Amino acid sequence: MEKAVHLSTKNGPKVPGEPTKTGTSMVDTAASAVQSFAPINQIHQHLCAFHFYAYDMTRQVEAHHFCGHINEDMRQCLIYDGPDANARLIGLEYIVTEKLFMTLPDDEKKLWHTHEWEVKGGFLFMPGVPEAIQRQDLEKVAKTYGKVYHFWQVDLGHQLPIGLPNIMMAVTRDGQLYPEMIKETEKQFGVSMDKERESRAYMKGPDHGIHPLANGGGKGLTLEVREVDIKPVESVPRVFV
Amino acid sequence: MASSDKIPVACPASSGDGKEPMGDPTKTTTTILDKGTAMMQSMKPIRQMSVHVCSFACYSHDPGRHMEVHIYGHRVNQDFLQCAVYDSNSSKAHLIGIEYIVSEKLFESLSPEEQKLWHSHDYEIQIALLVTPRVPEVVAKPELKNLAKSYGKFWCTWQIDRGDRLPLGVPSLMVSPQDVNLGRIKPELVKKRDEEHGISTEALKPSRDGISGPEKKNLVADYWVRFRKGFALDVVETDMKRTAPFP
Repeated sequence: MEKAVHLSTKNGPKVPGEPTKTGTSMVDTAASAVQSFAPINQIHQHLCAFHFYAYDMTRQVEAHHFCGHINEDMRQCLIYDGPDANARLIGLEYIVTEKLFMTLPDDEKKLWHTHEWEVKGGFLFMPGVPEAIQRQDLEKVAKTYGKVYHFWQVDLGHQLPIGLPNIMMAVTRDGQLYPEMIKETEKQFGVSMDKERESRAYMKGPDHGIHPLANGGGKGLTLEVREVDIKPVESVPRVFV
Repeated sequence: MASSDKIPVACPASSGDGKEPMGDPTKTTTTILDKGTAMMQSMKPIRQMSVHVCSFACYSHDPGRHMEVHIYGHRVNQDFLQCAVYDSNSSKAHLIGIEYIVSEKLFESLSPEEQKLWHSHDYEIQIALLVTPRVPEVVAKPELKNLAKSYGKFWCTWQIDRGDRLPLGVPSLMVSPQDVNLGRIKPELVKKRDEEHGISTEALKPSRDGISGPEKKNLVADYWVRFRKGFALDVVETDMKRTAPFP
């Protein structure tokens, strides 16, 4: 297997730029005290997992999800490349129950991936939460589907989020993820995925089984950009007065 | 497949009826579990967000389509912000995308191919389309001056204005309001925003006097204004490079 390209935020490239000037940061602190951060305050959960590029399994990243419930059937998550204050915002994920996933058109289903093996294999966990409590929620997550986009290819050492978005996928069987990457994560968070796998053996995936069209339908997926014509900018007829 | 500039195949999520996303209301047990575990976790990256602005965005492939956006940003340093974008500032807000904001200095270091994907912020700030809800202008001024000289790149992952009840398709590149016909935000949208937040865009304009845009006008940003071309994304099937069988 190829060597893991696994950048932790501690060693990764710093975002270029001057340190925040005092004037600006004072504004931000005063601002946050009075503003409504309700959407951010809905984020109640931190999940750590691994994603790889939908066209390249050899490029794998540790993905820290910060999630909130839109409702019982759906969550929305911000994805960072680490758990610390200096983490980079690299993407987002939507998580839906099987019930909602099954209403999607076939073309759409391909963009979504299953969570069953990620959860049952122990690769997805909630840092800081005792395993027995984690399982109360993760047994639900095991039955869900997710749609992930990354916008910043930190694994290529990009200092800024350049380029197009990437569809990402998640682990669906043993042997896909780099052992060194997993060991590093286990060490950093004091978890044992093998041990947790035993405790999660009781969990079930989607009731109707993993949909054959999910996970790209088994194909690689990539995004390409296309120029489109904009109707003339001054398109409204002039009104003569 | 579901290109960013195409209408999705008809399905319950694309019906456009009703404003609620699909799904059952959150159970009390879920909320309690959530809140309980949240207390055990440090959410450091999220705590870094300290900027909230409200403005409008347009679709790169159809700039006449406008949307109110609420941007929650983490100012990483003087030259860079990373932001989550929502469709409102309520607890029921939908996460509709991510925007990155860079200073003029960082922007000029990007290749022209990359610059095409970015938009300027000066117009929307100068005419007070971009506002800082509940923060007095005098307090917001330094940040507004900084943002007026910046460039943004915003990928929208949920076309909520079209009535999608789930995030369908692939990301859309978004562009900013501009002082040309399609880029001037529909007055009824501005009025609705103003009423909901108890502000007046008109009344705020004078306080934006003297706020200037980038030192040098970049000719590649806001690509659609000059070249009348937008950008759409398509999904393409390809071979996946693998370490093991998939799925």
